[in-house]
Amino acid sequence: MASLPNYLLTHRKRLSLSQEEVGFLIGAKGSGKESMVSREERFDRESSLKTAIAYELIYNKPLRELFAGLYEEVERDVAERARLLGHRIAGKANPKREEVIKSIVSKTTV
Amino acid sequence: MQRNQTSGQARILSISLSSHGFGYAIMERGSRLVGYGNVVIKKNKNARVMVHIEKIITRYQPDVLALHNVTAKGTYRHLRVKKLHRRVLALAGKRKIKVVKLTNRELRSALLGDERGTKHEMAEMLAKQFPDELMSRLPPERIFYDSEDARMDIFDAVGLVTALQSRHQANAPSTNLTNASS
Repeated sequence: MASLPNYLLTHRKRLSLSQEEVGFLIGAKGSGKESMVSREERFDRESSLKTAIAYELIYNKPLRELFAGLYEEVERDVAERARLLGHRIAGKANPKREEVIKSIVSKTTV
Repeated sequence: MQRNQTSGQARILSISLSSHGFGYAIMERGSRLVGYGNVVIKKNKNARVMVHIEKIITRYQPDVLALHNVTAKGTYRHLRVKKLHRRVLALAGKRKIKVVKLTNRELRSALLGDERGTKHEMAEMLAKQFPDELMSRLPPERIFYDSEDARMDIFDAVGLVTALQSRHQANAPSTNLTNASS
């Protein structure tokens, strides 16, 4: 089962916060505070890095858990690119680089 | 998304249809309550309920759909709700989602260990199990002359997913994953 892109709604409801309150806390401006939070919770919009960090602070959960689906997606992509890079640099004598690439592939495929 | 039919690892959506509208709950990875809520609809109920349910299914991409068995002996549902139930089954079939139907008796036995337990007892038990999520939504016990609080739909839905999970964990062979068309 693939994770959902994010679990923002789950954690907001657990803390009994309103979308407007969370919008204020993450620093959304103007009258669209709730709609920004709502779109992110409905997976219609991806959070910026600043907003994601704000969510981590508000919900006291790591980004990996809050944005589990997105994290898995990025993890897969990085692993795929690391594999490609591994093929590219194979044979070129630089054991440290090869070790780094191998460790990225193994970390992301666990 | 890869669909996993083992309910212990699947994302389960439960929907409890009622005279108010419906309640829903989403559980994944054992007993993690990911989403829940109720929707109250006043006019053109069936059509509008279907719109909401379609949105929920699209958003959460469930592997299993848990519903009340509205045709079980001793179960009463209004004709409108029965029609709506068939529409939900058809939608699940279209989206290739496995459907599990639980009777009220099965629900009460799984949650309370007593077929004659009341809805409010079930709701209290669930509120204790998920205090952060549900305690604030627990309605007061119904007096016989009052109509049921719409918030009870949430507890009905959470009860369905919880019962399904506990059945799975107990490896009960009677958990019956059926095709949506049945």
